[in-house]
Amino acid sequence: MINFLFLLTLLIYLAAGIFQTLSLALGNRTEAMAIRSTIERIAFWATNIGFALLTLFIPLWWLQQGHFPMTHWTDSIAFFAWAVTLIYLIIVRLTHLRTLGSFVMPVAFIAILISYSFATHTAALPEPLRNYWLLAHTTLIFLAYAAFIAAFGFGLMYLMTERKIRKKKDTLLDNLLPSLGISDELGYRCTILGVILLTMGVIVGSLWTQYITDVPWRWLDVKVISTLMTWLIYVVQIGLRQFWGWHGRKAAYAAIIGFGAVLCTYAGVELFLDSMHTYR
Amino acid sequence: MHPIVSIGTSHHVAPIEFREKLAFSEAQLTEAVQHLRENSQVQEAVILSTCNRVEVYAVANSMPSNDAATKMLVEFLSHYHRISLESLKKWTYLHHNLASIRHLFRVTTSLDSMVVGESQILGQVKAAYDASREAGGAGTILNRLFTKAFSVGKRIRSETTIATGAVSISYAAVELAKKIFNTLEGKTVAIVGAGEMSELTAKHLVSNGVSNVIVANRTYERAVKVAEKFNGTPLAYDSNLDFLIDADIVISSTNAPDYLIKRQPLADIMRKRRHRYMFLIDIAVPRDIEPDVNKIDHAFLYNIDDLEAVVASNLKDRQQEATRAEQIVTEEAKRFYNQLQIFQVNPTIKALHQQFREIADTELQACFYKASLSDQQAADVASMTQAIVKKLLHHPMKNLRCAVNDGDADHGQYVQALQELFVLDVKDEDLES
Repeated sequence: MINFLFLLTLLIYLAAGIFQTLSLALGNRTEAMAIRSTIERIAFWATNIGFALLTLFIPLWWLQQGHFPMTHWTDSIAFFAWAVTLIYLIIVRLTHLRTLGSFVMPVAFIAILISYSFATHTAALPEPLRNYWLLAHTTLIFLAYAAFIAAFGFGLMYLMTERKIRKKKDTLLDNLLPSLGISDELGYRCTILGVILLTMGVIVGSLWTQYITDVPWRWLDVKVISTLMTWLIYVVQIGLRQFWGWHGRKAAYAAIIGFGAVLCTYAGVELFLDSMHTYR
Repeated sequence: MHPIVSIGTSHHVAPIEFREKLAFSEAQLTEAVQHLRENSQVQEAVILSTCNRVEVYAVANSMPSNDAATKMLVEFLSHYHRISLESLKKWTYLHHNLASIRHLFRVTTSLDSMVVGESQILGQVKAAYDASREAGGAGTILNRLFTKAFSVGKRIRSETTIATGAVSISYAAVELAKKIFNTLEGKTVAIVGAGEMSELTAKHLVSNGVSNVIVANRTYERAVKVAEKFNGTPLAYDSNLDFLIDADIVISSTNAPDYLIKRQPLADIMRKRRHRYMFLIDIAVPRDIEPDVNKIDHAFLYNIDDLEAVVASNLKDRQQEATRAEQIVTEEAKRFYNQLQIFQVNPTIKALHQQFREIADTELQACFYKASLSDQQAADVASMTQAIVKKLLHHPMKNLRCAVNDGDADHGQYVQALQELFVLDVKDEDLES
């Protein structure tokens, strides 16, 4: 039953991703006027329903496993998708910029696809990790990742708009993409939010290992180092913006580089390197 | 049946000299509507009078021929404005029924306007309708017609893009600025070399939120003169362009033979203003701004050709959309006309049904009085009469409705024949229900 529900969620996310992308691709083309609003509505409803279903899985798995479901990395990647959708929906609520979904929903879909394809749920979480520290640590980190992915989306939107303005074509007909200033500003806010969450997540993680568990603290853990690198990329970016006026295009590129760093930290370390963070 | 007739003139068919003669002032409008209503042939009337068009929509009483109704309207206008019948015939258009409805829909949706997609006309039609209604002109049919026209206007606006996209250079500049800055509030525009076009663009920018205006000119006096209009800062420039550090939007239109703003100096200025966005509009010929400026990060340069291309593509888009809008309008007009006819036939159908039922009831009572029937028998006889009534009316009603639905012009005669043959008393109040 749970498996079937998860497959359903996967399909709904697929629909959300496709329809979101489609609505951006159609733009304000006259031929598409009649169906575009329908497409947008389907995309947004799919996003909401998918999110609701995914939210349902957290308590479901919790009950099934008897603790916060973070046993296997396939759990974590579903949780990642959940965080990405949550941040997206909050942004839509605040700004009404649904276009962002065209960039973040495909990411969420791929995350769920991976989770679905590799789901095993056989491993058991080691006893010392079963506590609320895990919940706080992972939630904060994943919300930070989600904020960075939103910033990445705004970065792409910025670059697309800028290209249109420079190319001087169809500049005015497209009202899906916000102005350069808005993309830039919102991307920046997402970056700041991400940095705050990531900082908190790292602090919680280090306190947890230091004082609560008897796991030896290893500074040279690959995941810790790459997380700190990611953190540094974003902090430097904020600093450059504040003191050197690095905004706009440079900030958009920085958001894309940061996204790459998030992927490396999250997926790269998980799959290819050995770390105390690796799920087994 | 009450035919809808309209007479009108617009910029498409008549010169201003004629349109101004036909125009109605607000006071005249009320008076004219009341005049029309006093005419026994006119049941309802709405007059629309704008600078581009004057139109009278009327619902004629009962069944005069279309010609008689229009003749009456022509005579009314001729009499009211003291215009010869010949010039009225030459400069006006006449429509009946479906054509009238379609024409009103086209007017309301701005398809008939000078600039397709303009937004004023909808408000003007609304005002005209309100005024005519207050003067007692609009009744059941015109109320329905105009309400429908407004909803068609809305539909066109939401389903097509005829009303989007700037169609003048100065508006295109404003729209582009909105694509660059997150808000125009608090931004500064610098006009370099004052000219009519740059002033107009600056005016639009200011009305969209731009708060500071710098006017730079070679001669200080001219700068002061223009700056006064915007409450702006005048200055005389030589080769020093430092005033651009504060400018978010630059409109350049000098007579300088060479580039005034070159890439390298502007790059320095951009650094000094911490790379905040700068939108440069070069409307001078020969150009004032080196094209390579567009390669500087966060500086966006549009020259007169670029802006004209934007406008041209918007106009082309509007044209395409207009074709689609025409289809919607035609379709809506047909549907409305159909509904209106059914709506107008209904009272006759109702009256006929009622008459038959009353006759049946009277005869039933008489029959019950004469013959003593058991309850069961009485019920059987009653249901039999009902069935007879129903079956007698079935074919005529079906054919009448079919005639209406098929758009058969004869159905008006059917209705009239029914009313006369059966001496039906169809009251106009029935229309209200």
